[in-house]
Amino acid sequence: MKKKVWVILLGLLMMTSVAMAETVRVITQEAMIRKDKRFFAPIVIRVPYGETIQELERKGDWLRVRYQGKQGWIHISAVQEQKFELSSLSTEKATEASQEEVSLAGKGFTPEVEKAFRDKNPKMRYDLVDQIQTIRIEDAQLQAFIRAGNLKEPGGEP
Amino acid sequence: MKSRLFFWAAMVLVIPVILAGCTEVVKVGTSVGQEMGAISKEDKEKIDRMALETEKAARPMTEQEEYYLGRAVAATILGKYRVYSNENSARYINEVGQAVALASDRPFTYGGYHFVILDTDEVNALSCPGGIIFITRGMLKKAQNEEELAAILAHEVGHVNHKDGVGAIQRARWVEVVTLLGSEAAKKVSGADLAKLLSLFEGSVNDVVKTLLVSGYSRDQEAAADLSALTFLYRLGYDPQGLTDFMEELAKEQTGGAGQGLFATHPGMTERLAKARSVIAENKWLQTVHPARDRRFQQATG
Repeated sequence: MKKKVWVILLGLLMMTSVAMAETVRVITQEAMIRKDKRFFAPIVIRVPYGETIQELERKGDWLRVRYQGKQGWIHISAVQEQKFELSSLSTEKATEASQEEVSLAGKGFTPEVEKAFRDKNPKMRYDLVDQIQTIRIEDAQLQAFIRAGNLKEPGGEP
Repeated sequence: MKSRLFFWAAMVLVIPVILAGCTEVVKVGTSVGQEMGAISKEDKEKIDRMALETEKAARPMTEQEEYYLGRAVAATILGKYRVYSNENSARYINEVGQAVALASDRPFTYGGYHFVILDTDEVNALSCPGGIIFITRGMLKKAQNEEELAAILAHEVGHVNHKDGVGAIQRARWVEVVTLLGSEAAKKVSGADLAKLLSLFEGSVNDVVKTLLVSGYSRDQEAAADLSALTFLYRLGYDPQGLTDFMEELAKEQTGGAGQGLFATHPGMTERLAKARSVIAENKWLQTVHPARDRRFQQATG
């Protein structure tokens, strides 16, 4: 009887440690890990699309994470939670896992499809779209804009 | 025999629910059906399984796919309108827009938010999937201050948050995309499949462009974008009345029958105005307007 209890406890402990080692994946072209849980906190490290990051804790809309030995905070809208691949146990879970953002990268509406679309429709103004997407408002500039307008800095702790 | 009949009758009823993506609703229905003895346990399992498979087939679009769809939609619209190239105004609407986007429920998208002024007197604002947002010079001229401009952009960011553009794609078309790709991971699409995928992509781009320029979103989608806009404005410290003030102006014109373009795609301004006003009143969302904002608005748009 006692032995059974220990086995169950050990099992629970293992499950907890698996849950604690959760990871998330970056789903934006480039995401920033910041020193603090604020949009304008200094950048610790930039992470490209598809990278896996270790999640340490969650506070509101922010996750404390570790990536390449560095720790910091990332906003939840820049990442997707990883589902555990229990493919050998459940086909349902396996399908779920295969539908994650990153595993679908390179399928569906891809750069390859875009290229075919552009070749077929030369009147499309992709040149302008490319130009538009290079417009960047730097952190410091946006922060100054918010302050000068007596606005509130969004994304802090609720 | 009777149970076969019930099975097929159940399927006829269940398929639309499955296509609406409500596996859970189907499960409740089949459980009731089984308890009533209308369908067997095997049939229940069969229907539930089908519902799950179909729902999976209609997986949501990924952020990256939404990005490529949005680029194509933007490229199409930019084939019809010219960009208003005034550096000052462009920087200013991007500052207002970026601030609003950060205060939204989806501050980051794959390619980020970008705001563009279209050089036309038409009065309109449009959002492409993924976050490229257009506002016409005509619309910009109608805005009286920064609060109103922020309100227009916040409404469009609301549509991006809700993925309304993606939702404009005919469901059957999207199911076809997913079915074509199959469940094999990292399968390279080529030849006839690529041609088929291209035609589905074109169809999807068309669905979105048609919705943005001709048919418009539903009243519910517009009302939801209004509600989000009010929330984002309040979070950022703007007076949410910027939205109702602007809508009031538009509603006046709508009754006058002017400005076809916008009103064809933004129906029911009067009802939306009443709803937005009541939301502000209920939440007591009143904030003061700051003179510095008026000054920079005049400088950038005057």
